[in-house]
Amino acid sequence: MAEDDDELWDDDEEDTQKDKYLIFHLAGEDYGLDIAYVTEIIGIQKITEVPDMPEFIKGVINLRGKVIPVMDVRERFGLAPVGYNERTCIIVVDMQDMAVGIVVDQVQEVLDIPEASIELPPATGKNDRSEYVSGMGKVGEDVKILLDCQCLLSGKGDEEDVAGSG
Amino acid sequence: MTPPDSEQQEFVREFVQEVRELLEGLEPDILTMEQVCLGDNVDEDEKRELINSIFRLFHSIKGAAGFLKFDHIQATAHSAENLLDKIRIGELTLMPEHVDLFCLGCDFLKEALDHVDEFFEDMSLEEQALETKVKLDAALEYPLSASASDAGDVGGNPPAINLDAPPEERPDLEMVGRFSEECLELITSVEGSLIRVAEKNGDLDAYIRSVVRGLRTLKSNCDFMGYRDLEKLSYYMQTVSESLRDGVCLTPDTAPDSLLKFIGMAKEVIVDISQGKSGSIDGLGIYLDMLSDFLPANMRLGIDNKPSEPERLGDILVAQGAVGKEDIEKALGIQQKPIGEILVETGVATPEQVDAALVKQEEVKKQKKARKRNGAATQQDIRVNLGKLDALIDLIGEMVIAENMLINSPDLDGLELENFTKASQHMTKLVRDLQEMAMTIRMIPVAGLFRRMIRLVHDLSRKSGKKVDLQLSGEETEVDKTVIEIITDPLVHILRNSMDHGLELAEERTANHKDEMGVVRLSAAHEEGAIVISIADDGRGLNRKKIRAKAVQNGMYSEEEAAALSDSEVYQLIFAPGFSTADKVTDISGRGVGMDVVRQNLIKIRGEVEVESTPGVGSTITLRIPLTLAIIEGMMVRTGKSKYILPILSIRESFQPTSSMITISPDGQEVVKVRSHLMPVYRLHALHGIAPDATRLEDGILIVLDAGRRVCLFVDQILGQQQTVIKGLSKYISEHGNVGGVSGCTILGNGDVCLILDVQKIIDISQVDKNDCGAKSYLVEAEGEGIV
Repeated sequence: MAEDDDELWDDDEEDTQKDKYLIFHLAGEDYGLDIAYVTEIIGIQKITEVPDMPEFIKGVINLRGKVIPVMDVRERFGLAPVGYNERTCIIVVDMQDMAVGIVVDQVQEVLDIPEASIELPPATGKNDRSEYVSGMGKVGEDVKILLDCQCLLSGKGDEEDVAGSG
Repeated sequence: MTPPDSEQQEFVREFVQEVRELLEGLEPDILTMEQVCLGDNVDEDEKRELINSIFRLFHSIKGAAGFLKFDHIQATAHSAENLLDKIRIGELTLMPEHVDLFCLGCDFLKEALDHVDEFFEDMSLEEQALETKVKLDAALEYPLSASASDAGDVGGNPPAINLDAPPEERPDLEMVGRFSEECLELITSVEGSLIRVAEKNGDLDAYIRSVVRGLRTLKSNCDFMGYRDLEKLSYYMQTVSESLRDGVCLTPDTAPDSLLKFIGMAKEVIVDISQGKSGSIDGLGIYLDMLSDFLPANMRLGIDNKPSEPERLGDILVAQGAVGKEDIEKALGIQQKPIGEILVETGVATPEQVDAALVKQEEVKKQKKARKRNGAATQQDIRVNLGKLDALIDLIGEMVIAENMLINSPDLDGLELENFTKASQHMTKLVRDLQEMAMTIRMIPVAGLFRRMIRLVHDLSRKSGKKVDLQLSGEETEVDKTVIEIITDPLVHILRNSMDHGLELAEERTANHKDEMGVVRLSAAHEEGAIVISIADDGRGLNRKKIRAKAVQNGMYSEEEAAALSDSEVYQLIFAPGFSTADKVTDISGRGVGMDVVRQNLIKIRGEVEVESTPGVGSTITLRIPLTLAIIEGMMVRTGKSKYILPILSIRESFQPTSSMITISPDGQEVVKVRSHLMPVYRLHALHGIAPDATRLEDGILIVLDAGRRVCLFVDQILGQQQTVIKGLSKYISEHGNVGGVSGCTILGNGDVCLILDVQKIIDISQVDKNDCGAKSYLVEAEGEGIV
């Protein structure tokens, strides 16, 4: 995607968005999102609840006159919800011309993770949450869990979650 | 010509404006043409382009005039077109005299327009028109070229010369678009007239004449654009209609119907053309033969194709039997003086006869002149791309929100800002005005939609053998363009239903002491911030018993439940998918799809549909449609910490109940009694799982909502009324659940997002919930009987 946006992404190593991940923190783990999907990061703001939604869809927010839905990754992963604070962020991603806000505990940095340092997710078969994982990125000593944005938003885990919330 | 109604006047004003603009472009072009063609270095390309452009302008004027039946203007423009054609193909060399003639034509057209603008007719312009026309026609033969004799034949022989003309570029898309638009309009008008003819309804002669005129214009349009097949077809249809007019048609009874069929065919071809197809007609020969069969032998080959010029002085005389047609034509040929004098001079008419005819003509003129010139202010139109318009409207919507945010900004709380308040009030007013203005831009009259229904009703009446008089009213009512698109289908279905189930057969009607001819009334009006379109028939009315029985049979209700339904609830049943009481499926209706479409489409535009019916007297179906789709007048309510918007249109009243008004049925359903009406109470906080301030009904507010039936919605507080710009909830939301009772959202002045409640959905959901809890709904329904 957007390999020709040279000027916009003037970087030391490569002038593209390729291999760049937005790293955010969630319940003690670091996760990465392909930066190509990310349009902006905003602070937490007032969310209007929408009835009859699965738990992880928190509601809608007003993003400069546009109404966009917001989902909570914690609840998406079935983790215990925590109260939002000033570190809580909404990452606005754009998926097929549809803007969706993703609530995370804390946004950290943009990292370069070359394909060579990404491993396939361990096939534990235990947990459906691994559906959302596209790979494990090794950065020095750390491991970042790279998420499949598409799955995260509309992925296969849906039916369960919906059923669970209903 | 009958005095035009206000709507026609509107058309005429538009026409005048349009032609004035065309003329403005025409004159400079003519003069440039003179310079270009008479100069030393003739640039062939430039010349051809200029001539073509002038040709188009004259043609547009002709077409527009033809559509509004301004025969003299049309004829003059046509003559100018003929002359120009000759010049274009090189049969005539452009002379300064020609340019003078074209200018003369323009002068006449300008004069005619002034006249038309004032009196809405061009009949009294006969003399000038003829004078101009004769001069133009004479110029066709001026340099006496070999084929000059063809020239006099006004559009009769389709000028084969076009085929030899230098290969023209294919008409550009814009022209094709305009051509098809114009033709479709023509066809609609011809259809309308033909239907009257077929039904022998009203002034047949006038209708036939208008058919002839319409077809003639159609033919010349096709000729101009080079659609040979279509031109031939229209030419034959025109001839058949002429034979009808002159009473020489072999089978006058069946001819109008066949013409209708062929017109339909022409319509399809034009639609094809507009989609970029070639416009050729397969099996054209057979169709032409079929059309020829209507004609007497002498008309089949060299068809007399003089354009009809009704109600000229000469025609009046002919009609009175005072003079023969040939005499008039002879007179016209030598006409330098008023036609009356010539007729007297040549001895074919007595001065008295001419005087009588002149008096008649004068009367018409006087009548018109008596009217004061009004609305002389010029009205100018421009065509705008719809996308731009929508973008503008979106922007204005955003502005309304921004304005609200600004004026209600929390930073201003507690401040006394006199000047700011003044300025902000002014701004609020301006923004409202702007918003209203933007909304009216998208509005178009329902006339076009209604006219299409004439044809539908006619066809249905043929198919079912029922005689119907379709009465239209309120055609000038303006509705959002999108709304028109969405209600077209529902209208068709409702009309089909009225025709098939509502209206009885002629024998049954006579037996019930009704007029044999059924009446279907289609009307539109503005009412309380909504558009109301109603379709009323005077048929047998809905059969409540049958509907109830069918509902029971379909398993929608038990027998007791069905018996307890109120009339309006019974009528709402006909909108259920697959619901039909028809014993057999006909090709018109009976599958139970149509009325479902009606409801679905109306839901799409937040409209409502109501049915009233009286057995034996008829049914009325009323569509209530919001004026615009983007903004609603909303009432903000609060329950707990959540705010919601309710569309004002569905609110009937609100009140704080007293404990004596409330009854709790054994199953726990709360019922409130208002002026002898019992209504079920739905708690908004319960539906959306919110912690409310008030749990006792007496502590909150009940809002009476109407969506087919009335229910009460319990909220904590009413916060006030406000204009609400509707925003859709994201697709993402709708993919993840069926948002309970919410139709969309809006952004409030303080930037918060607020959900807009969908009254119909709330009722539906509540009913589902009740059914889950057992059959308690029955009791409520029974108690609620007679509410509406």
